[in-house]
Amino acid sequence: MSDKIGVYVCECGPNIGEAIDIDKVIEAISPIEDVAVVRRHKLLCSGDGQNFLVDEIKNEGLTHVVLGACSPKDHEITFMNVATRAGINPYLIQVVNIREQCAWIFKDKDIATKKAIKYIRAGIERIKYHKPLQKKELDANPDVLVLGGGLAGIEAALALTQTDRKVYLVEKSADLGGSVMKFEKLLSHQGFNLGLIKEKVDKINSNENIEVLTSTNVESVIGFFGNFEVTTKPAGEEAGGKSFIVGAVVVASGYNWFDLESTPRYGYKKIEDVFTINDFGRMIEESEKLKLSTGKEPKSIALVHCGGRKELGYCSRVCCMQMMNIGNYIKDKYPGIEVHELHSDLCVSSKNDQKYYEKSKEKGINFIRMKGVEVGGKAGAISIEYTTLAGDKGKLAVDMAVVAPGMIPEAGTPQVADMLNVPLHPTGFFKEGHEKLNPVGTTMDGIYVVGCAQGPKSFMETLIQAQAATGKIFSHLIPGKKIEPEVKVSEIIEAFCTGCQTCLDVCFYGAITYDEDKGVSVVNEAICRGCGNCAGSCPSDAIRPKHFTTTQLYQEVVEALRE
Amino acid sequence: MDENTNNNVLVIGAGMGGIQASLLLAEAGKQVYLVEKEPLFGGNVIKYEEVFPNMECSTCMIAPKQQEVLQNPNIELMTHSIVEDVQGSVGNFSVKIKKKARYVSLVNCIGCGACYDPCPVSLDNEFEQNLSQKKAIYIPCPGALPNVPVIDPEYCTRLKGVDECSACKDSCMFEAIEYDQKDEILDVKVTAVIVATGFGLFDITAAPKYGYGKVKNVYSAFEFERLFAKNGPTEGNTVLKGGENPNSIAIIHCVGRKELGYCSGVCCMYSYKFSQYLKHSFPDAKVFQLYSDMCVPGKSYQKFYKQTMDKGVDFIYHEDVEVKGNGSKIKLNVKNGKDKDQELEVDMVILAQSLKSTESNSELAKILGIEQDDKGFFVSMTESFEPASTAKPGIYVVGCSEAPKDVPQSIAQAEAAVGKVLALT
Ligand SMILES: Cc1cc2nc3c(=O)[nH]c(=O)nc-3n(C[C@H](O)[C@H](O)[C@H](O)COP(=O)(O)OP(=O)(O)OC[C@H]3O[C@@H](n4cnc5c(N)ncnc54)[C@H](O)[C@@H]3O)c2cc1C
Ligand SMILES: Cc1cc2nc3c(=O)[nH]c(=O)nc-3n(C[C@H](O)[C@H](O)[C@H](O)COP(=O)(O)OP(=O)(O)OC[C@H]3O[C@@H](n4cnc5c(N)ncnc54)[C@H](O)[C@@H]3O)c2cc1C
Ligand code: SF4
Ligand code: SF4
Ligand code: SF4
Ligand code: SF4
Ligand code: SF4
Repeated sequence: MSDKIGVYVCECGPNIGEAIDIDKVIEAISPIEDVAVVRRHKLLCSGDGQNFLVDEIKNEGLTHVVLGACSPKDHEITFMNVATRAGINPYLIQVVNIREQCAWIFKDKDIATKKAIKYIRAGIERIKYHKPLQKKELDANPDVLVLGGGLAGIEAALALTQTDRKVYLVEKSADLGGSVMKFEKLLSHQGFNLGLIKEKVDKINSNENIEVLTSTNVESVIGFFGNFEVTTKPAGEEAGGKSFIVGAVVVASGYNWFDLESTPRYGYKKIEDVFTINDFGRMIEESEKLKLSTGKEPKSIALVHCGGRKELGYCSRVCCMQMMNIGNYIKDKYPGIEVHELHSDLCVSSKNDQKYYEKSKEKGINFIRMKGVEVGGKAGAISIEYTTLAGDKGKLAVDMAVVAPGMIPEAGTPQVADMLNVPLHPTGFFKEGHEKLNPVGTTMDGIYVVGCAQGPKSFMETLIQAQAATGKIFSHLIPGKKIEPEVKVSEIIEAFCTGCQTCLDVCFYGAITYDEDKGVSVVNEAICRGCGNCAGSCPSDAIRPKHFTTTQLYQEVVEALRE
Repeated sequence: MDENTNNNVLVIGAGMGGIQASLLLAEAGKQVYLVEKEPLFGGNVIKYEEVFPNMECSTCMIAPKQQEVLQNPNIELMTHSIVEDVQGSVGNFSVKIKKKARYVSLVNCIGCGACYDPCPVSLDNEFEQNLSQKKAIYIPCPGALPNVPVIDPEYCTRLKGVDECSACKDSCMFEAIEYDQKDEILDVKVTAVIVATGFGLFDITAAPKYGYGKVKNVYSAFEFERLFAKNGPTEGNTVLKGGENPNSIAIIHCVGRKELGYCSGVCCMYSYKFSQYLKHSFPDAKVFQLYSDMCVPGKSYQKFYKQTMDKGVDFIYHEDVEVKGNGSKIKLNVKNGKDKDQELEVDMVILAQSLKSTESNSELAKILGIEQDDKGFFVSMTESFEPASTAKPGIYVVGCSEAPKDVPQSIAQAEAAVGKVLALT
């Protein structure tokens, strides 16, 4: 059957109707080969207009439709639905924007008309090469792998629990709970309810839809949204691994502490009684007593903020609050001990933080604003030298110092990122799908990153992110429902592909793999988003982005440029 | 849940948070009623030209989301509407929504704009912070969505009954003007409610030391956003009251922080953004940032501050400041802990106001039976680790309605609330 192309020009009221000489357009377009009808309409997007189009397509037996109208952003979907209603494939329509790109930008009607004619001609030449594209549906496994069993992982695993969904919670250490569990006394002093985490851990352990794999590493994750094949291995052992399929992965692998030893100015490990937050937490966990190396109780303590901030190039978000907690702990239990907090900025950006700071001041904690600090001296006479904002030098003598090390990415982060094919941020944390619009997604559909794995986060931000990943999974991956991958994907023509693998590197989404046996690259249509990057990079012109083939674009451009 | 269970969710407020929540719910097959009190939707973000920390165009970020909302058959967007009453409990809330008369048909109007010019009434454009005028029939700014004007019945002479003006109707080719539209009450049933009513800004007239309203060329944060916006009253040409471009600008941080008792967490970042705007338009202008803390939490914000500094912006620590007029110039007395105040002379001052709770929250708190904190933000159950849930089952709070936040945090909380809603069924 030969093509029967229908061309419809929308007046859009006076918008196009008055700015473009539509009769002239019709006259110019009508003689073009394969164009069966050219007609005008007052308002194609209206209910009337849509019905008109459906009737036209049916009555005239049209195979393709070109619409000279507004921006496809406005009504492409409307017109695709019209095509479906009329029984032709929705990819056999082409919306040509003669409003924003012609009518609205020229004062001269002749020029606008000329340009509209060229554009419509180009649309017609393009559509001759359009192929019908079909929506596909893929089965999707609703189960989820949660990688890491800290605050974020626990929250995600529990929130994800539904009767028809299984959750695998994999934790590399022996216990669930993550970093906070080591700081029971410190955290409960500030009112953070560790009991709730324990309750959640109990619930997880007794939930038959959650399989907990502690002391376990994830060895590989292969596949795509709805269908990831996971293999695990018990830590330190060769055998005993498992493999299972999940539809989505939530990465909650947490953070590590900046190594203070690497920056001599903190005196850490060189001067006794200089501690990190970690050491301090451990000390009070062990005996609840504050002890110097001499066995005596300290009389004055300096709390030094921002450990490593300069080196890291970012602010770790929670250490100001952590340090104030320590200050409060000391002041509440040992009111006689002098506490100095040497801070640079005060990062008190959650809505109750500033109140906490003000209370801390009232308790007698001495806050000193500084822009540089050095811990020197020796045990018993630790000397803190600092520079104020105004550039003045100050000095404090204390017998204990606690330095706040910043948060850094968990050591295994690059390996996990590599395994999952997701990118890292320049700081080494995982990178979110979009800094603003997609804060817990990644470039890979079905892979989410939450909590401090993604960068320094407070408790609440961590919980929100874990729940956000749950929201996304509940919305995108519904048990029993199939998923619809992108239709306009790229395909590689085997006969042309030389196997150079250039395309593998340019695909952000990891959609291309190399088939060793055949010696060619292959696009996984379930992953491909149709961005076209690969097509541009292929030296052999072996890649066809469906709906944006070289032929389609070439014909369109040539016709648009022809006088 | 009983057999009354329906498949609907109510989302109140169509800013970044409300939009993201609605889209995710719709994707999961929920029917969403998205209620927005303004005649346009998108929230505060549509006022900005660019967004930190990538300085990408704000419209390019939000417009595709708005289009998705407009085209999604599972979302019923109701602009110019308010929630009047909510009864019932989780799984079965009865909601009364008032759709205020727009006097323009959302179906017939194609947004051509032919009706504005003929309208004889002019009034201040609040959306443009009163920096420009609009007609009694108007869209707040070019690009506003839905692209359908609204008639302000308090100014339209016909609707006030003053005369029989029909200038807009006469100019409309699409029979879109409907003078006889009435407010409509809609009763719907929903299983859950997500509140995303956003924020307002600290009232700077309450702090006279900043000189706002008295000293010429002292601007609020939103005024400045609009003065830089390409679709704003000056098409992005930042001009002072006298029409000239500024040569020296001071941006004052923490305006309202002391009075409100909290740090808003985003105004440092938006102030740096302002500096970058200014350095972009006026590379030779002197820009001072009077900061108190550099609030740059997380992995990428400090870098943004560094970039700002590298553009030649001066950062001055301040504990307090007084803004005074001095001829055509503005004089700043900066207190920073030293014996003597530092003095600065500039020709433009921008106040980086703290974010505060939305005024209508108290009304909504009553209607919904949820709690506000002493600052007017809605209270979520952080202590029991439910940062998007209120104490009332089935009602969730997200974005700046719960506490000041940036865009990604607002979006994450919206997604968290969706997780909670979808777990109900
Ligand atoms: C002492 C202390 C005080 C704090 N004070 C505050 C405060 O005052 N206010 C505040 O808001 N926040 C505070 N925080 C921050 C808070 O701890 C974090 O926001 C939160 O713990 C982050 O949780 P997470 O699950 O992301 O990471 P983590 O707790 O680090 O958990 C990550 C888990 O993943 C596991 N894991 C890592 N890699 C792998 C892998 N490859 N495979 C399997 N498992 C893996 C780890 O073993 C760990 O169990 C504090 C933290 C500490 C430690
Ligand atoms: C000057 C300035 C610049 C900023 N720049 C940035 C930036 O560059 N990047 C960034 O990440 N963040 C920025 N922010 C923060 C950002 O604006 C917020 O994070 C974001 O707008 C929060 O979205 P939201 O949906 O919670 O609230 P909003 O954007 O405030 O939206 C709330 C919506 O609810 C509606 N509403 C209110 N009450 C009711 C009611 N009773 N019934 C119905 N509807 C109601 C409102 O009309 C509004 O449309 C900036 C903030 C300011 C003040
Ligand atoms: S949170 Fe506070 S202590 Fe930590 S890096 Fe930021 S400013 Fe420094
Ligand atoms: S770039 Fe082209 S030729 Fe090379 S592997 Fe990819 S498809 Fe084949
Ligand atoms: S079109 Fe884009 S997403 Fe698809 S295979 Fe090519 S590079 Fe990857
Ligand atoms: S009401 Fe009529 S004239 Fe006004 S914008 Fe809509 S269609 Fe155009
Ligand atoms: S974010 Fe910055 S400007 Fe805003 S209140 Fe906090 S410290 Fe002040």
